[in-house]
Amino acid sequence: MTIPQAPPVEGEHPLENLANEKLKTKRWFHDPLLVVGIVIVGVAIFLAAFGEAIAPYDPTVPVGPPSVPPSSAHWFGTDTSGLDVFSRVISAPRIDVTLAVSAALLSGIFGTLIGLMAGFYRGVFSSLVMRISDVLQAFPVFILAMVLVALSGRNLTNLIFALTFLYTPIFIRLTRAEVLTQRERSYVEAARAAGNSDFKIALKHVLPNSLTPSLIQLSVTVGFGILLTAGLSFVGAGVRPPNPEWGLMIANSAPQLVLGEWWTSLFPGIAVSLTVVGFAALSNAIERRVATS
Amino acid sequence: MTATILKTTGLNVVYPTPTGQFKAVNDVDLELRSGEIVGLIGESGSGKTSLALGLLALARHPGKVSGHIDFQGRDLLSLDTDELREIRGRSIGLITQKPRQSLNPFQNVGTQIGRVYRAHVKASKSEANDHAIELLENVGINDAPRRIRAYPHELSGGMAQRALISMALSAQPELLVADEPTSGLDVTIQAQFLDRMWKRAEETGTAVLLVTQDLGIVANYCDRVLVIENGRLVEDAPTRDFFANPRDAYSKRVLALAGERAVAETADAGATTAEPLLRIENLRKTFKLDDGKILSAVSDVSLTVMQGQSLGLVGESGSGKTTVGRLILRLLDADEGSIWFRDTELTSMKTREFRDFRSKIQVVFQDPFDSLNPRWSVEKAIAEPIDLHMKMSKDEKRLRITELLEQVGLPESIRTVKPAGLSAGQQQRVCLARALSTNPDFLVLDEPTSALPPVARVEMIALLKDLRERLGLSFIFISHDLSTVRELCQDVAVMYLSQIVEMGPTSKVFAHPEHPYTQALLDSVLFHDPLSRRVDREHRGALVGEIPSPVDLPKGCYLAGRCPFAEEKCRQEPQLLEFTEPGHLVRCWKAVGGVLNVVDSEA
Repeated sequence: MTIPQAPPVEGEHPLENLANEKLKTKRWFHDPLLVVGIVIVGVAIFLAAFGEAIAPYDPTVPVGPPSVPPSSAHWFGTDTSGLDVFSRVISAPRIDVTLAVSAALLSGIFGTLIGLMAGFYRGVFSSLVMRISDVLQAFPVFILAMVLVALSGRNLTNLIFALTFLYTPIFIRLTRAEVLTQRERSYVEAARAAGNSDFKIALKHVLPNSLTPSLIQLSVTVGFGILLTAGLSFVGAGVRPPNPEWGLMIANSAPQLVLGEWWTSLFPGIAVSLTVVGFAALSNAIERRVATS
Repeated sequence: MTATILKTTGLNVVYPTPTGQFKAVNDVDLELRSGEIVGLIGESGSGKTSLALGLLALARHPGKVSGHIDFQGRDLLSLDTDELREIRGRSIGLITQKPRQSLNPFQNVGTQIGRVYRAHVKASKSEANDHAIELLENVGINDAPRRIRAYPHELSGGMAQRALISMALSAQPELLVADEPTSGLDVTIQAQFLDRMWKRAEETGTAVLLVTQDLGIVANYCDRVLVIENGRLVEDAPTRDFFANPRDAYSKRVLALAGERAVAETADAGATTAEPLLRIENLRKTFKLDDGKILSAVSDVSLTVMQGQSLGLVGESGSGKTTVGRLILRLLDADEGSIWFRDTELTSMKTREFRDFRSKIQVVFQDPFDSLNPRWSVEKAIAEPIDLHMKMSKDEKRLRITELLEQVGLPESIRTVKPAGLSAGQQQRVCLARALSTNPDFLVLDEPTSALPPVARVEMIALLKDLRERLGLSFIFISHDLSTVRELCQDVAVMYLSQIVEMGPTSKVFAHPEHPYTQALLDSVLFHDPLSRRVDREHRGALVGEIPSPVDLPKGCYLAGRCPFAEEKCRQEPQLLEFTEPGHLVRCWKAVGGVLNVVDSEA
């Protein structure tokens, strides 16, 4: 008895194979965007964990004469209260990054699960979820965030929840769109024909294949989260002084700019920008990888 | 000897890659003469499309074409862009794959055809418009003045393909390059199109290069065959010589496989004492469309599959055959009718109850890659139904998967590979192994061979045949490929527009097709024999047009609009499925009454 043997892997078009090889041979670290992203995000996370410990001075206590320009003793100078700007800038990620990362993760988890359900079970539930998302996304993010913080009270936990609430619709939308295309593919039907329940199909088959857009979005959201936290603190709706936080630092020192005291706002400003760019770069680089492979 | 139109010497198409140059077309010399249809065949990735585009001095980015292309005394590769543009479209027409994607979705087809014409011929807009209408009429589009205002999304695949052909022909080129122009079209439409192209080459002396994977097309329409392998032309022979005596290894392999199929006998009718396994009665399924209209996908379908037997369900796209399969699997719920599996009625079963029942009825879908979870390894895919339905220890499961892989002819080493790393043929074998994993009593095979390249297709059919004999499988084989059904199935049911129009033992239906639709389908089959070409045959009752939309079904016979034998009675009275002889059912009063052939001989 002879069993017909399958031919060796033919692959697709040879050009596509070559393209794949090209990607494999090109090392991840040859992508400058990715290197920039990983370095900045790495530093930000490191500082979130150890920033306060390695800071030369206590960031919340006056440690020198007020309004001293950058010097060897105070690398970024001191502010009007005599707090060390450098210590504060490297301690701030503990609040900014932690807050943004938690909010991004929470909204990612909630958004993906709700989006999965909304995409999988079309109908009243799906329409309702999408309309609520529409309304939430139609509001200016900043104003809604201020309202939420004002209603719930100014503390870290409430800030995280406010941010989570704001960013969840993005993940709902992204996941739902992907689920809608995935659920039409034959493997979903094959899974049903194999005897899976809807619940199992959604969780085992559709969800893992619908995660890519959300994973890309996650890093962007962290960046936006940092920006929003800083912005809220800047207008006084975020973190309370004297906690080290970039937006708060800029807010406190902005009036001093006209007096020529540039260092107190410039350094936290650069820190915010770099961090946001870093997370965006990481997200972009991941997206490029995923899109081409 | 007819005039040479195009001649290449040392033609190369080269793509730069990080590891060096990739020669998709390697030092090709060929010659195309006027009035000649030349078939270009080769495996996927052999350079067929690169060569076809190369003849127009085109290459996909970042490829480069080099060598010499002598087209009517001018070397195309030494011309500048403007001169080339004048020749492309004007003197060399191109028909690409995937007709719908090749048309501009923002312009109606008339404008698009007219533009090509006006780019090359001095003409006013209204002249171009008239020309477009004429061209569309020439390719057999009814109601052309209205159709030219249609946008690509409003056209069926066959219609879009014909619009594209009109475009390629609009400036009356001397050479037509057609890259798999009929892939994805139904057989009756394919035959209509190729007949027309053949006639055109005959009448106007247009030279045609026809890229294809289908030896049937080559045997029936081509004067000469070119075989390309790894970018090199390995065979250039007149069609008859090619089929009689192929020289290179690839041609031999392809022809040997095809030959095997030709001598394979029709599946024998098995033991007649067999018990009915699956019995469908008066099945009906409609879909409600967004605009409130009702689409009848399946109306009044009854059929029986005996234990250990196989039934072929054939029909063109839109006939409802796939819906029948999905109703059996309860992937859709029927509106009316019953499905009996032995003594169990399936349509009234509760969803939860049926879930356990699924281990008995399994399925293989058309697109193998799409039907495997891209993130799951082969092993995991095959193990899923086992985990769901059978209590097996880890070791038992390992052994079972090994056994299944062996049954479908896959090596053990493939276990951990993900679907993207497999060829289409291997993917489909994995799907088959998954379907067999729970020892099902019945399989629904929904076009399991039609998405596969020719060689893999032949192997898949051999495998199914082998499994049917070894495991005593019963299955329903849904397909538009008549020759496959003939090999695999004892019985056949032909569907047209939601109804079964003819049903009976395969041997009887294929030898004496009674229904005009079955006759037309059989007539459209292209056999691998250059000595009995379709173009030389007398056509009895070719169908006109294409399958109408199943939204507004006609009052009388559903085929009446396309049938050459239709008369007033056909248009008025619904047709019944009636016996012409024991076991052979036909839905046509003329065939049943024996008057079909009378009209035929008069016509």
